[in-house]
Amino acid sequence: MNETVHTMSTQPSELGDAAAEGVGELLRRGTKGAPIATYAEGEPPISWQTISDGGWDVFGVLDDGEGASLRDLVELARAWGHGCVQQPLVTTLLAKRHSAAAAAHAGPVTIALPLPGGAAPYVPFGQVPGVVLATGLGRGSDELVPVPEGTPETLAISSRGIQADVHTELAAVVAREIAVTLAAAATGMAERLLADTLAFVKEREQFGKPIGSFQAVKHQLADAAIDAELAETAVIWGAERPDEAFRGALFAVDRCIDIAETAIQAQGGLGFTWEVGLHFPLRQMILTRDVVNALEVEHA
Amino acid sequence: MTASVVRVPDLDLESFAARAEKWLTESVPARWRESRGRLSNEESDELRRDWDRKLWQGGYSGLSIPAEYGGCALGLAEEVVFHVLAGKAQAPDGFTRVGKTLVAPMLIKSGTAEQKAKYLPPLMRGDEVWCQGFSEPEAGSDLANIQTRARRVEGGYLLSGRKTWTSFAQHADWCFVLAQTQPDAPRYRNLSMFLVGMHQPGITLSDIKQISGAVHFAETRFEDVFVADSDRVGEDGEGWKVAMRVLGDERGGVETASRYVEIRSDVDLLIRTVGDRPALTARLRELDVRAELLRWQLAKVVDREVGDPERLLRSASVLKVMWSELWQDVTRFGLEVSPAADRDHWQYQYLEARAASIYSGTNEIQRNILSERVLGLPR
Ligand SMILES: Cc1cc2nc3c(=O)[nH]c(=O)nc-3n(C[C@H](O)[C@H](O)[C@H](O)COP(=O)(O)OP(=O)(O)OC[C@H]3O[C@@H](n4cnc5c(N)ncnc54)[C@H](O)[C@@H]3O)c2cc1C
Repeated sequence: MNETVHTMSTQPSELGDAAAEGVGELLRRGTKGAPIATYAEGEPPISWQTISDGGWDVFGVLDDGEGASLRDLVELARAWGHGCVQQPLVTTLLAKRHSAAAAAHAGPVTIALPLPGGAAPYVPFGQVPGVVLATGLGRGSDELVPVPEGTPETLAISSRGIQADVHTELAAVVAREIAVTLAAAATGMAERLLADTLAFVKEREQFGKPIGSFQAVKHQLADAAIDAELAETAVIWGAERPDEAFRGALFAVDRCIDIAETAIQAQGGLGFTWEVGLHFPLRQMILTRDVVNALEVEHA
Repeated sequence: MTASVVRVPDLDLESFAARAEKWLTESVPARWRESRGRLSNEESDELRRDWDRKLWQGGYSGLSIPAEYGGCALGLAEEVVFHVLAGKAQAPDGFTRVGKTLVAPMLIKSGTAEQKAKYLPPLMRGDEVWCQGFSEPEAGSDLANIQTRARRVEGGYLLSGRKTWTSFAQHADWCFVLAQTQPDAPRYRNLSMFLVGMHQPGITLSDIKQISGAVHFAETRFEDVFVADSDRVGEDGEGWKVAMRVLGDERGGVETASRYVEIRSDVDLLIRTVGDRPALTARLRELDVRAELLRWQLAKVVDREVGDPERLLRSASVLKVMWSELWQDVTRFGLEVSPAADRDHWQYQYLEARAASIYSGTNEIQRNILSERVLGLPR
């Protein structure tokens, strides 16, 4: 425990900063700030073509080991999470980073991810036509195969995934990168929920004033802001210190879930409705927690 | 997205750290390191006073204070590194904390040339100790409700009133006092800031014993104590402005660095003593993660937020809530699960830690700041 801040770095490289900015712009143009609920179950507001035209799916590809760091992927995934757009960017990014077959493939790629308690693995976007599955990342055979038949995964519905009896072999380093990057995307989603909730409590009035002026509401949101800081710090920690990847990712996702719960509470009955859609990111977070947990059990 | 902040080159910071670590190892008195808990009050006070002078002689006093005022002209990163290393080396906590973290920045920002020349050198040398006279019986969280009066007289003021919770008062040579000078002026514009010598007639101290049994603060009464015009900081009526300028300072980072070391060593003690009890693993792991995140949060602040007042406001409140509540949770856990041999330690730590969410702005006030001034929620 001998390091102090002089051996610690928390900032992404210029690559990561630029990617976050680019993805932010992509989301602004694609979603025009529309509420998540308006697209979470329908047509994605950004096409896969637009994503790959921007080169975002190959952002993580390494050339002789050179390229974006995990810290940079975190920055990109966090920015991407803000949009809660249902496209397989994170899995494709990681597949192309760790599989030559995936890198050579033009379309979106998915990964079979473990779930705890012996549940059948989860294949995000397994219901989407044209998505192919990587058989091994950094380990096992490096091939792409069609996604097999399975049952639709019912929690994280906007990811249109399946559960199927299929396996992607993962090197430990890849398992860690998946955990941290998924957690970073969840962190972005939580920041989005927090921003939307702040806007809501400034508008919504009860007792003749905005509910955001009640101290009980304020302090919950202050805690959510602290949780958002902590979640970001935890994914940075996980990205910078491989031994801490799973602990960092899990801690971050737990704080994201706390934030989502606060968002629902602060929006009252509306927050509890399917329509308003706060549950879409929350569902992603809970599934992410399961995946990170199972990855830790298998690879820690 | 802002461009990434240029970091202090690692090489420099690293060589600073190496130099500081070596100096600390050689300079921390063995007597303190080995028998700190068993020293008489007199010996403990003497070692702490001595430590302030040693810091000066070693060239580590006022790390981020400009050289023209006797400081080392380094940055927040060095302050943080030094405090972490000092904690690890079990260095004493001197008596100049209030002076260096509050008075020096206040004088540098708002003091006259004479005030700087008169007060900063002895403070940097470790010769003079300062205390802070802000809180009063009727002015706690509502600090602007100060009742202590300074009446105008020829050449200065006569100060009368009661300050409370004054840390270091028993050791202090000077107190910086916020007092009413314009009773009829509107709130926030009725106060002035004064530098008051503690060794003069009209000042009485009464010790206040804390829940832990320690006596670290006192009630301070002023009865017609003369303060010269030249010892007023800022204009008459500008005391609130002067005070706010220091309270919003970067001190949050330095305080967190010291706290991190204490919390880390408490969590390590828990890992050593109860780490093998499966029923406790989950809670211990959570505390361990939170302790590490405190350090990374601090590194994030050092990397990004130096010189950005808006971000500093946010990060000061975030850090304060983080470390104080973590420390309280750690000590509560220690109290509940510790083996008999460590009971005294945990009882003391637990009781002392209760103060952490009260001083430097209670955690409720921090949450008010975060929600109103950072998140922009309506008052
Ligand atoms: C160990 C220690 C050392 C100290 N050292 C010094 C020192 O050296 N110099 C100095 O000037 N002061 C010092 N203080 C005083 C400290 O700054 C005050 O205790 C603090 O500001 C709180 O004021 P109070 O004690 O009057 O509590 P109060 O303000 O009466 O608060 C009581 C409770 O009410 C809550 N509360 C008050 N207002 C609000 C609000 N608007 N919204 C929500 N909740 C609210 C508080 O959070 C708290 O829980 C010290 C205190 C301690 C414990």
